[in-house]
Amino acid sequence: MKRPLQALLVLLLLGTLKLPLEQAATAHLRAEKLLTPRVDLGLRENLGQMGFAASLGGLRSLVASITYLRACGAWENVRWGAVDSLFQLTTRLQPRYTHYWDEAAWHMAWNASSHYLNNEKLNPALREKLSYEHVLRGRDILLEGLRMIPDDARLWHTLAELYERRDIQPAKAAECYLKVGELTGNLRFRRLAGYQYAKAADRALQLKGYELLMESYRANQRPPSLINTIKDLELALSIPAMLRIPEARVAPGAVR
Amino acid sequence: MNHAAFSPARVWTLAAATVTQLVRMKILVFLLLFCAVVVAAGFAFPVLNPEHQLKLLKDVSFGALQIFSLVIGIVATALLLPRDLEDRTLYTILSKPVPRHEYLLGKLLGVLALIGAGLLVMDAAFSLVLWLREKLLLAQILAGLKAQTPEAVAQVQELVGKQGLTWNLHLGVLAVFLKAAVVTALALMVSCFASSTLFTVVVTFCIVIIGHGQGLLREYFLQGKMEPFVEKGLSALLAVLTPDLGVFDVIDNVVNGQVVGPGSAGYMTGIALTYITGYMVVSHLLFVEKEL
Repeated sequence: MKRPLQALLVLLLLGTLKLPLEQAATAHLRAEKLLTPRVDLGLRENLGQMGFAASLGGLRSLVASITYLRACGAWENVRWGAVDSLFQLTTRLQPRYTHYWDEAAWHMAWNASSHYLNNEKLNPALREKLSYEHVLRGRDILLEGLRMIPDDARLWHTLAELYERRDIQPAKAAECYLKVGELTGNLRFRRLAGYQYAKAADRALQLKGYELLMESYRANQRPPSLINTIKDLELALSIPAMLRIPEARVAPGAVR
Repeated sequence: MNHAAFSPARVWTLAAATVTQLVRMKILVFLLLFCAVVVAAGFAFPVLNPEHQLKLLKDVSFGALQIFSLVIGIVATALLLPRDLEDRTLYTILSKPVPRHEYLLGKLLGVLALIGAGLLVMDAAFSLVLWLREKLLLAQILAGLKAQTPEAVAQVQELVGKQGLTWNLHLGVLAVFLKAAVVTALALMVSCFASSTLFTVVVTFCIVIIGHGQGLLREYFLQGKMEPFVEKGLSALLAVLTPDLGVFDVIDNVVNGQVVGPGSAGYMTGIALTYITGYMVVSHLLFVEKEL
């Protein structure tokens, strides 16, 4: 009886000593982005959802691939509810994989939204309502994805496009484009932010847009759309004549 | 003639005999199955984009590697002691001047050698298929490009290469091996007090499942987020008694291109060695006075 007791004591001692080591290893691997950080969803939900993901162990990636393929099948059959829930499961299983968030948002904000908008079986008010709700769903997916991977330029870019083309919120689109510019160091995104600010109704934002576009102009990046937008802003902001750019407005389709 | 208290040569002989014993059980058929699965996964779903086709191949391969290593680790270990008792090999070995800890160590190393060799073969097969698939996809995309400017070619190469074959993937295989090694040592410990093979298999599988969620329990316990005494006590007990197998689950992110640095590999190896040493000490204490 002595040996089993000793064995139990060793097991308990090992268990107690390993806790700080496990904690340190987990923190290190999370800092290295090798382990997915836990989302603070509250105990019950965490044990339910993250516990489920944890129980799959190292097979999470495989299961995520399977749920992704099922989501693609649901998309082919135009079952938007199933597409959403399967992508939700997929992104929950692999929250650090950009492609899943990006595609989930694209399905909702572009495909599902357009599907409802063009569905002539529904009355016009309902079509618009359903279409807009799916745009918002796409936005929420991207925002959730950015909570998991805040420095992902691709997700910021998709969010910018969503605000620009689907939700029509130029100021927010501009902020997202600025973030992409900051993350990639590419001046083109600051110019895209400038275009969006130029569309805003607020004078202060238009001024910000003007500054961004002039930055691009001074860097010798001068596509016709840039010249025209600067010209529009010069008028709207009453820029003094001596500060205006010398180029004339470019006609649509003209080759410079 | 002096009889050494510990002889690596004796342990090696026992390990080699264990490998032979396991190979005779025809468990390596799994390797052929794996190769078939990898080739099928490599050429399945051609409608997906190239990035996803390669990711799917890696997901399926790593999934199969995990299943192989864990199932062999648990089932083979659970079979060893009862089989040795049934064949009376155990009595023959222990009637010679072989200490019981050497017998246990030999068994563990035998199973680990088999898992390690199996993983190496599977890693080689998987790497070959991934490399071929990557080259094939790259050639297909480049052939479809209208203007093959250096910029466009570089972009395509980056896109495909991101999900292609890298040295880092082999470190993912190392993580799979380390997890299997911990689970094997755990199964050996359970089999030292188990009444049957089935008991060892079921109990070890349960601990493996709890072990994947142990990190969650440990964090809630250490961060004081659990209020009721029963919840706190239960989570503390589970956190203490089960290994944190989630530490080895780096594959999900390795597949997506995250690099396993020396520090991370060191942490995983250190933790695996701690568990294995601890479980072997407990196994010895349980086995040394076991009536056979």
